[in-house]
Amino acid sequence: MRETVKLISMEGFEFIIDREAAMVSQTIRSMLTSPGGFSESKDGVVTFPDISTTILEKICQYFYWSLQYSRGKETEFHIEPELTLELMMAANYLHT
Amino acid sequence: MTMLRSREIPSVSGKPRSKGHSSDTIQPSSPAPKQGPATSTTPRRRSPRLESLYEKEVSIPVSREIKSNVGERVLSLRSGKKVAKFSGSGSRELDVEVESEGKKVCLSDDDDSIERSGSKRKRVLVEDTNVASKELDNSRVIVDEEKGKTVVAHVSVDQTRDKGKGIVEDLGQANDLESRRKYTREEKGKGIQVEDTTSVVVQEMEMEMEMEMEMEMDNSMNIENPPVTDSSVNATNTQIQNGNGSRSQHFRDFAEKNASRFARFDVETDDEEDELSSDLEVEQQVEDWPGPFSTAMKIIKDREEDSTTILHSGVPFSSHLERSSPIVWAPRRRSDTTFSPPRAAPSLQELSMQVLVKNADAITSLDYVPDPLRVKLCQLLCDSRRMNLHFLHLLVRGSPTAICVPDCSWLTEEHFTECFNNCDTTNLMVLQLDQCGRCMPDYVLPSTLARSPKNLPMLSSLSLSGACRLSDVGLRALVSAAPAIRSINLSQCSLLTSSSIDMLSDSLGSVLRELYLNECQSIDLKLILTALKKFEKLEVLSLVDLPSVRGRLLREFVTARGQALKQLILTNSVKLTDSSIKDISENCPNLSVLDLANVCKLTDCALGYLANGCHSLEKLIFCRNSFSDEAVAAFVETSGGSLVELSLNNVKKVGHNTALALAKFSEKLQILDVSWCRDMSDDALGYIVDSCSSLKVLKVFGCTQITDAFIRGHSNPNVKILGLKMDPFLDRLADN
Repeated sequence: MRETVKLISMEGFEFIIDREAAMVSQTIRSMLTSPGGFSESKDGVVTFPDISTTILEKICQYFYWSLQYSRGKETEFHIEPELTLELMMAANYLHT
Repeated sequence: MTMLRSREIPSVSGKPRSKGHSSDTIQPSSPAPKQGPATSTTPRRRSPRLESLYEKEVSIPVSREIKSNVGERVLSLRSGKKVAKFSGSGSRELDVEVESEGKKVCLSDDDDSIERSGSKRKRVLVEDTNVASKELDNSRVIVDEEKGKTVVAHVSVDQTRDKGKGIVEDLGQANDLESRRKYTREEKGKGIQVEDTTSVVVQEMEMEMEMEMEMEMDNSMNIENPPVTDSSVNATNTQIQNGNGSRSQHFRDFAEKNASRFARFDVETDDEEDELSSDLEVEQQVEDWPGPFSTAMKIIKDREEDSTTILHSGVPFSSHLERSSPIVWAPRRRSDTTFSPPRAAPSLQELSMQVLVKNADAITSLDYVPDPLRVKLCQLLCDSRRMNLHFLHLLVRGSPTAICVPDCSWLTEEHFTECFNNCDTTNLMVLQLDQCGRCMPDYVLPSTLARSPKNLPMLSSLSLSGACRLSDVGLRALVSAAPAIRSINLSQCSLLTSSSIDMLSDSLGSVLRELYLNECQSIDLKLILTALKKFEKLEVLSLVDLPSVRGRLLREFVTARGQALKQLILTNSVKLTDSSIKDISENCPNLSVLDLANVCKLTDCALGYLANGCHSLEKLIFCRNSFSDEAVAAFVETSGGSLVELSLNNVKKVGHNTALALAKFSEKLQILDVSWCRDMSDDALGYIVDSCSSLKVLKVFGCTQITDAFIRGHSNPNVKILGLKMDPFLDRLADN
């Protein structure tokens, strides 16, 4: 699958997003493009056993917001306070 | 030529100033005609050339406009230091204190000594001529009095040091009128010997204040010839002495009023004199080395010569800026009008941290948050003054490995005790409690951090900067609980004395790698020298703002422990000279970080030493050092390949030579600071930025000369330019 990738959360939820959006995360980018013949790069599927669904959903929303921002449309990205701590740690892990 | 003090000095304005030596007849009177009769007391001839010059004399008090014509004289009021002692009318010995750091040049009527000193001067003067003809650049002439700047201490030192050496570059470029200014009358008088090798009797001034006339070498040398006999000298001496009682008082009053404006003068100490004399030898040596630095210097200077000879033909000087820069840089041509890279969206981590900082009180636990994030959060909280006890409790909970609070000024003693009473510090590796002066007196430590001898077994990095209530006793208690400290920051702990360092060397002598003693006022380097030498593995030594840092002491330390030294921070150690740099370069081959900001006495020789000795320098900080463009360029050529960060802040003379060298030889350079270097043109900066592919940050504060041609025309997408006018930069500082 060249156009989209699938991100799977801790609970098994699958998020299918554009490849370009997923590449905002440096970690995912290197997973998908690494030359080692890993399953992630072949299938385009990445599993995150440490990241919960709500957080992963928020992260996907961030990917799209980030693409929009760099295209010129600068809006605000709202984060619910109760998610922030986990979100910060996930973002740190994903290098995004 | 005798000095006449027999006339009132009328106030004058519009005194032109020029570089070069002046004769020692500083006639503090105005128009030439008047001088004829006035000087009738001495049978002195004045050459017609001098007459014309005297038209533009200045007297005290001065408020002059300066014109930048060569050939006009400049008057400068010396600093309040007394230059000459009058030793009685009958004596033939004139003691003259040359106006540099306390060096005394004894001039007797002895032909010998005068010849000797005269010949020394001769060489300097000859050099000056060469330089002067090259130098006069922009028409900015500096008026001492007007700006209250003092005449030079460090520059005059350069002069005296340059005697007999081919080092002309100190007298270097652009704004070097200062280098011209500090010749005492006596020195200039001696200079007369260039033309006339008969002995010149230098008349000293009996007052604190002297007026000095600087004249273009070409003009001055022939003049002032009058071979004055000893008797006439004495006669005038007597006359001056007798006639000038009230005048001396007047001058004294004036000096008292104005001396404070010339605030800068060096304390004369034996150490300095020793260092000066060793500097002289040292400088001689650098020039003799056929090393890569000297070769590079020569090539660059020759290149300069060639490019400027054309301009110079027939013109005694040329403006430095007018010289066409050899750098040809074409700004990138863009079809689109506005150049703005697509704004990168802020990272999710940043965004979430910002929200967290705003709602820090709602955080209930920091479990599983990795240390770097904790540290970053804490930093942001301290910056926005939101750091509080609640968060500190969160940090301290469990068995933390790092507690970094960059600002503990909000923390009280009681709360500190409460927090750290039961803190489990068995795994604590990094403890940073900066600005903890309020909360850390000695008596809280035994119940908290130092409550048992092995309370901090894994602590390797301890920072207590700003612990102004911590004394030797408290530190001893703390260090006894932490035997494995490898890095200790005791900056601004003003109560600590040398016994603390002794204690540190006893308990941590074999493990300590980094020692920061910035601004510890009660610590004298002389007293801690033995202790410092006991640290076997010391890699980082930071001695910012310690007035006791002296060349001799530093030499002792680096000869003992220089091999392991990797970082040496010597900001504001104003007493250091080139010989210290020589010692450092000879003994510290592994030095990678060297900070010499505000070490103003350094000259180009220092760069030579560094180039020859320290080959792995990665971070080099200069600020307000007076290096010449050629020297910096030569340095970059020879050892700039390893540089990652270079600061030439206020190294005013850097220009296109340095730019060329940087562009060609510094592939690894990431951070470059050329703030206040006004000779860096758009072309030069553009060339640097486009050629240094690793460059990430360029600081150009105060560089009013750069224009949009550079700002928008450079083609390096990664570089961040800080310091442009009206640019907000505070948010970017955090990134560095």
